[in-house]
This record gives sequence, C-alpha cells and structure tokens, in this order.
Amino acid sequence: MHFDWPYFWHQLLTPGDKFLTGLGLTVSMALCAEIIGLVLGLVIAQMRLSRPRPLRAFASLYIWAIRGTPLLVQIVFIYTGLAAAGIMRFRDFTLFDITVSGSVQAGIIALGLHEAAYMAEIFRSGIQAVDRGQFEAAKAIGMPPSMMMRYVVLPQALRVVLLPIGNQFNILLKNTTLVSVIGVSEMMLVTETINSATFRTFELYSVLGLYFLMLTSLWTLFMRWAEKRLELSSRGTATR
Amino acid sequence: MIDKRNLLVEMDAIEKWYGPTKILDKVDFKVSRGEVVVLIGPSGSGKTTLLRCINHLETVQGGRILVNGKPIGYRITNDKLVEDSERNVALQRRDVGMVFQRFNLFANMTVLRNITIAPKLLRGLTQAEAEAEARTLLARVNLADKENSYPHELSGGQQQRIAIARALAMKPALLLFDEPTSALDPEMVGEVLAVMKDLATSGMTMVVVTHEMGFARQVADRVVVMASGHIIEEGTPEEVFENPQHPKTQALLNSVLH
Repeated sequence: MHFDWPYFWHQLLTPGDKFLTGLGLTVSMALCAEIIGLVLGLVIAQMRLSRPRPLRAFASLYIWAIRGTPLLVQIVFIYTGLAAAGIMRFRDFTLFDITVSGSVQAGIIALGLHEAAYMAEIFRSGIQAVDRGQFEAAKAIGMPPSMMMRYVVLPQALRVVLLPIGNQFNILLKNTTLVSVIGVSEMMLVTETINSATFRTFELYSVLGLYFLMLTSLWTLFMRWAEKRLELSSRGTATR
Repeated sequence: MIDKRNLLVEMDAIEKWYGPTKILDKVDFKVSRGEVVVLIGPSGSGKTTLLRCINHLETVQGGRILVNGKPIGYRITNDKLVEDSERNVALQRRDVGMVFQRFNLFANMTVLRNITIAPKLLRGLTQAEAEAEARTLLARVNLADKENSYPHELSGGQQQRIAIARALAMKPALLLFDEPTSALDPEMVGEVLAVMKDLATSGMTMVVVTHEMGFARQVADRVVVMASGHIIEEGTPEEVFENPQHPKTQALLNSVLH
C-alpha cells in the first residue's frame, strides 16, 4: 500500500480555494434546505393532524411519496427531469453580488422537500406526545388552533423533537454529496474533479471523509449544548 | 322557576354516542345566570360528558346547545347541525371558563404567565393590566407568593387554585368545573372547595361535576342527578338530599354518605 502522507496533510490542512468554496456550499445548502424542511415540515405535520380530509390525505401522500423514493432520484427528477419536460428550468439568479446557480437552487429545493417529509413525521410525533389536557386547557380558555400551537403545544413538543431533528440534520449534511450529480461543486464534486487530475483517490477521499466528520462532530457538540439549554429552561415541562 | 331571559345555558334533547354506546339520551339541561348547579351521579352516568358539551370539548350527535343565547360548536344550516370552525368555537369559549380534574396548567409557563396569557392575547389587555389583574386573582386564591413558580413546583391543591384564577382572568360569564377535587390529596380538597364557595357567594354562574356531597349541599342552588345518560332527578339540595325520589338517587346517596 502506498499512502502519500505529504499530499494528504497538504490537502487536509491547506485545502485549495475550490475545496473551501465547496465546503461553504455544502454547509450553506444544508442550512437552506433545513430551513425549508423545518417550515414545510411543520406545515405538513399540521395538515396531517388537521380535520379536513383533503389536507390530511395530501400530507400523507407527500410523506409516503418522498420517503418511499431515493433522494438521488428526487434530485435528478427536480433539476433535470422538470427541465426536460419543459415544466421548470432553474436559472441562475443574482442577489446583490452573490450568484446562485440553477443547479444549487434545485439542489436546495430537492433536499428541502426531502427533509420536510421527515420533519413532518418528527413534528407530528412531538405534537402527539404533548398531554391532551394541555390542548383542552388551551381550547377551553378560547385560544384558536394557531395560538394554541404557538404558545402551548409547540414549546412543549420542542423537547421531544429536538433530538430527532438534530439527527435528521446530521443525515442531511451528508446527503448534500448527492447533489454532485447535477453538477453542484460542493465538496464531493470538487474532490472528484481533483481526483480525476491527480488519481490520489485514497488520500483525497480520506480528506473528504474527515471534513464531513468534522462538520457532523461540530453539529453534535452544538446539539448537546442546545439540549442542555432546553433542559435548563424548561425543567418540569415533561409530557405526561 | 326558570326565567327564559336569564338563561345562560340551554341544552335541548342532547344526544351523544361513543360508537354504539349512548352516553347522553335526549338530555335537557338549563342554567340561569347566577345559578350554581351541581351535577352528581355514578361514574359513567354522563355528567362529565354533559359538562364538556357546554364548551364543545365534546361533539354531540343531536340536539341544540345555546350558550348566552348563541349556538355553540354548531351552526344550523338547512335544519341540520353543521360543526362550526375551531376559530368560531374559540370565540365563544372565551366566555366559558373551565377547571379540569387534572388542572392542566400550561406546563411551559410560570404561574403568572398561565394567568396573563389569555387575557393578553384574547382580550387585548396590556402586560401591565394583565399582571395587575393576575396578582389580584392570585391574592384571592391565597397564592400571591407563587407567581414565578412553574406548575410542577406546586401541590395539586395549589395548581387547582391557579387553574381557577386562570379561568377567572378571562372574566367568563360561566365557569365549568369537571371533578375539580377528584385528583387531589384529601388534605387539599378543602382549600379548593373554599375558593369555589367564595366564587359561588360572589354570584358567579357555575356548573360543577363533583362527588363532594357536602359542597353540593352547602353551595348548590340546584342539584341535578344523572344516571345512564339521563337526568333522573333535580331540585334544591334539601329536596334531593333529604327526600330523594328516584331509587337510583337513593342508592347513590347511600353509597357516598354512608
């Protein structure tokens, strides 16, 4: 076995601009997709728990379809498939001095829609874990459903959903590598590109793996801190 | 005896099923303004269900419920009952306070916030107004020193008194009590009943489901006895307790008083 240590250390400690841009893209895409996933997931969870049958049916269908198909298929479908069918073509747009390419937009949307299905189920379980008496008390005092959710139910559900949401984001961080197939120069594609010129595959992918390990470890530390904080700020709001 | 103009709750021919089981069988029930009505009956008689229909925590399959002269939970469209939107029901519930067996204080809020949140959000009170009002109520239930506590830090009796204060903060026209002392340790029952007596004396309209016969005897204007989904007897406490007519009432009183 030959392992080029100097090359490995060089790539790990002094990565090129392209790789750093890819790192930035990985993180920012994951964050954007997570925001979409959280907001949309909450909406879908509410639909799933609502009274009107069509809303419930739509939510169930959405969760079923997204969770039942591979993310890779969804990404290609949204970027290449929709364009090929002439339904939607993602175009670059520039806001101030940042240009977001069409493939990055498609990637964020695909990851976000995917994340939303999982978030919806997490939120639903969290909401259902809150004691029924809390719902009844909020209703009885005259709170409309939106107010009941915002002030009474969701703050208590947060305790239950924090950990699974954290886990899901961890998965999302790693799943960003899949958008390399539609040509987004995140860390994975940058590594592939360097590899095709240097063939230092073992070294390069070791570096890539370590960078992901660093990202997910930072995230785990953050989640631990967040959990502790929530624990302190909401002692006693344990659901019955 | 019942003054039509003064009716706060009017329930006519209420029918309620859980699957194949009939819980309420064409029940008529009325409450006048200022009246204290105590509902008693063996467990499973439908008294709690009847109470929960008044603020539409339970749906009904038939009959009519008017609170303050307006139908609650349902609109009548083409002579059929159509369930109203949650938003509309919420508007009506503002005037009907409820105290639960298991207190149900908002677990994520301090005592003060439990009491101030609804008046602030729903009655448009400022923070200062709501807090001043809450402190008056806390003094009334003898818990002035607990405003910064969380519900889990309080005893059951304290939680229930806070729950009463929370309901009162909305200045309801009517207060519903669903077995308010049943989940309490015996030594805490008295403190909650004392607050309820004080309320009754102040002229609050109350409907109380309870097993506390002493309370019923002392405080009720009218005692209503239910069994198997029917009202089997009603009258003043003297009438019901001294001279019960229905054999089931006699059996019930024998079982709790002896």
